[in-house]
Formats: sequence, C-alpha cells, structure tokens
Amino acid sequence: MTQPSILIAFPKGRLGDELVPKLAGTPLALDAEALKSRVLRIPTATPGVAALLLKGADLPRYVAAGVASLGIVGSDTLDELDMDLLELADLGFGACRLSLCARSGVTLESLRAKPHLRLATKFPKATEAWLTREGLTAELVPLSSSAELAPLLGLADAIVDLVQTGGTLKAHGLVETTVLGHSSARLVAARGAYLSEPGRIRPLAEALIASLRHS
Amino acid sequence: MPVRTPHFPDLLFDSAARLRRWEGALMGLLEAHGYRELHPSLVLREAVPDGSLRFFDGDDLVALRWDFTVSLAGLLARRFTAPPPRVSYAGAVFRRPVQPWEAVERFEVGCERIQPEGEASGEADVELARLLMAIPGVLGLKSAILHLGNAALVRRPLEAEGLTGDLADAVVAALSRRAPHRVREALGGHAAAGRLAAHAEALLSELDGPGTLNALKASPYADLLKEEREHMDRALSSLLPILPPNLELRVDLADVAGLGFYTGPTLRLWAPGAQQELAAGGRYDRLFPGLGRPWQAAGFCVRLSRLLDLAETRPDLFEQSR
Repeated sequence: MTQPSILIAFPKGRLGDELVPKLAGTPLALDAEALKSRVLRIPTATPGVAALLLKGADLPRYVAAGVASLGIVGSDTLDELDMDLLELADLGFGACRLSLCARSGVTLESLRAKPHLRLATKFPKATEAWLTREGLTAELVPLSSSAELAPLLGLADAIVDLVQTGGTLKAHGLVETTVLGHSSARLVAARGAYLSEPGRIRPLAEALIASLRHS
Repeated sequence: MPVRTPHFPDLLFDSAARLRRWEGALMGLLEAHGYRELHPSLVLREAVPDGSLRFFDGDDLVALRWDFTVSLAGLLARRFTAPPPRVSYAGAVFRRPVQPWEAVERFEVGCERIQPEGEASGEADVELARLLMAIPGVLGLKSAILHLGNAALVRRPLEAEGLTGDLADAVVAALSRRAPHRVREALGGHAAAGRLAAHAEALLSELDGPGTLNALKASPYADLLKEEREHMDRALSSLLPILPPNLELRVDLADVAGLGFYTGPTLRLWAPGAQQELAAGGRYDRLFPGLGRPWQAAGFCVRLSRLLDLAETRPDLFEQSR
C-alpha cells in the first residue's frame, strides 16, 4: 500500500495573506492555479504533500486529530483552544498584540472603576487570565468578528482584540489602553505523526522553518 | 464550551473477537515470563479520584476502576508484606475523557515489576523493555517503534533549580509541546531561565537512534544527568542486539508525559502513522512508598482500545490474519 499523502494546514485570512507569498519559490509553494479557484485542498510543489486552507479557529483541531500532520497558526488561537499538539517553532511573522481597546479618552483606570465592566472579545480565555492577574471581574461578551463595533454601539465598555498596525482601531476611534500579550505564527504538528513518523514529518517541518524564518 | 457526548464502545463481532484474541495472547506472553495475574475489583470504595466515573451506591460514593496501576498498588500494599515480583492484569478501566474522541471504557493489558527498596533496578527496566519489544509481533503489527525516555532528565534539573508548582508545570507543558520558545517564555526573568532553556534545546534537538544520547552533552546539566545517561546507554547496549525485525528503537529525551508519576526510564510503543501511542510505561518508584511500602516498581500498559481502533482505521498496519 502506498503511503497516504501528507497534509499541511495553512490559515486563511490575515496570517494566510502573509504566509502565501513567503512560500513562493520554496518546496512548499502553493499551486497558483488552485489558489485562484475555490478549492480548499491545494497541491504544493512537493509531490505527495498538499495544503488545506482552514480558518484559524478550526486549524488546530485538524492537526490535533492527526488529519493534518503540520500546520501554521497564530499563538493567540493556540492559547485559546489549548489542544494537544506540538508547537515546533515560533516563525516570527504575523506578530501582533492582544490588547484591551476602548474609545478614545477612556483609560484603564476608568475601566477599573466601573462597577460592572463589560468586555467583548474573541479571546475569552486570555481575557479571563488577564482579569485574574489584575484582580478584576467583568462580564465577557463573546463575539466572533467585528469586535470594534461593540464599544461604539454600547454592547461593551471595551474589547480585547488583536492589534497589528492599529489602523482598524484608529478608523473606529478606538485606542489601546493596555497590552495583554503578544502573538505570532507558530508551526504546529500532530503529536502522533511527529512521534511515529519523524522521518517523514521532520524534514518538512525543517523546510518550513527554514523558508519562513528567513523570508 | 466543547460539546462532548460520552463514547461508550460496543464491540461488534470482529472487534470483540480481536480483543479476546489479543488479550489471551498478551496474557500468555506475560505468564510465560513469570508474571501472575491479579484482578483488582472493578469498584473503588476508598479513594475516588477526579476523572473517574463516580456514582452513589446508597449513601456511599463509589467509582469504577480508573487505572490498573493505582488499583493494583492499593491491593498489593494492603494484602502483601513482601511484594510479588511480577504481576499482570487485563480488563477495562473507566475514565472521563479528556479529548472528545476518547472512550469512557478502555481495555488494557499490562504488567508490573516490583522490588524491595534498594535492589538494583536496571535489570528490571531492561526486562520490561524486552517484553514490550515482543508485543508488536504478538499483535501482528507489521512494524513498530519503541521510544526510550527517562523522566529524570527533566525532573532532576527542575528539582536542582528549586522549580516547583505553576512554573515547573509551565516548563513541563512547554516541553510536552516540544516548544523550546515556550520554555523561555514561561521562565521569563527566572535565574535559571538560560540554563533550562539550553537544556530544553538539547532534549528537543534529536529524536532518533542511540546517537541521540549525545545531545545530552550540550546540556548545562550533563554532569547532573551522568547516571541517567549511563543507565540509558546500558539499556540500549542490551536491547539493540536483540531488536526484532520491523521494530525501530528511538531515544526520546524530551518524553515528559506522566512526569508527575514516572521517576526514571520510560517506554512508549508507536506504530508508524498511528495518532496515539499503543503502549506506555516506565519506572514509578514513589508510588509504593506513598502507600507505606518501601518498594520500587516499573511496568507498562498495552492500550487495547487504541489498537482496536487502529485495526479498524489502518488495517494495512497489521498482518492480515490478525
């Protein structure tokens, strides 16, 4: 029986937009024609290795279950999901801050003073950890997108969200009041695939690290 | 919150027959090597651990047997003044699943090698490794990989640096993820950050054959871990000449699974392409002293439920007749 092909999970969205050009010209470059189509399984320049394009929040599950042997995902997503997978390298790109952001003029002190603080976020786990460190309590408003609208429309007093350049915040009249943590792209691997087939998986992992760290 | 529906496996004809056949073959192998079966009760009435399946029997809170090693240790400590040297077990354990795909009821076969305190343990460790090496053949696995590790490679440097509690847990979690950058993040400005990060890099640098042991030379704790390295070296010298065909031996210096339990050498059996280890074990010398018995122990457990799943999903990994 021939060995099944190796699947690598790549993120769609912001991180994917940074990743795809970095892979160009490497053994794991994505097939340009397939990228233009709507297919989500893309051949790479290495025979027997294909890429899956997945939403960041779904990606770790594919890797933890062993469907994809390797993947690239933001450390913010990894920390939120806490799945059983290996995190082989910090790839350095996609760097951003996880910040508490509020309308211009609102300070951390004024948020602390609120008797009932409401925070909208896609990152409840990191937010809870920060609240615990700060000795604060808050009502968490779970959102999956467009968190910037929440303070403007009164859904929450502030948001905890990823900030890269700050352009989106500025466009909505929001400012960072404090930084909770940092995030960057991480190379992850399925525990089973990495430990039971290192001869197949490690060279690919090393090729990805070499391509992405130096691009 | 993740949605979990408990998975209680019903085994239909082929799987039920396979379980019966494998259980019999493995217990036969253990018996031929002097291991005698003990069968601890399915119901625990004393310690009711977290993660076990619990229920009330009248006013009494009871639990189903959740782990053979712990159940056997209680039985042995209560019923024996001198330890029987070799015991085996077979049956089901019941645990609340941590991962959504894990079953509540899990079938296992395993063995324990128990010795009075102070008796040399090297021979016992090699005996267990040799037994585990025979298991892929008994199960009809076409090929397998045996990982040798040693919990002391991480435990001793942490103890030497006085690292305990959450900080030690964070370092172990980072090593479990094989993420040296997370070790550095976890230690922040700790005085031992540089040394422990360099140690993590050394442990994670290789995952290969006997030559992997040389990676320990780059560790700042190379002298502290000299005894462990020599022990692993001796074990490899004993095992390599008798390695069965289709079994690969690898040294995994960064094996930290079960670090709170294991104290010395660890063993893990994999099949190429399997998503989970198929058998695991090691030395756990702190278990019996904690129960008031000055005994040391090591053992391993074959996870038959995972093997049954593997036989369904990857039949190509097994000889046809099995």
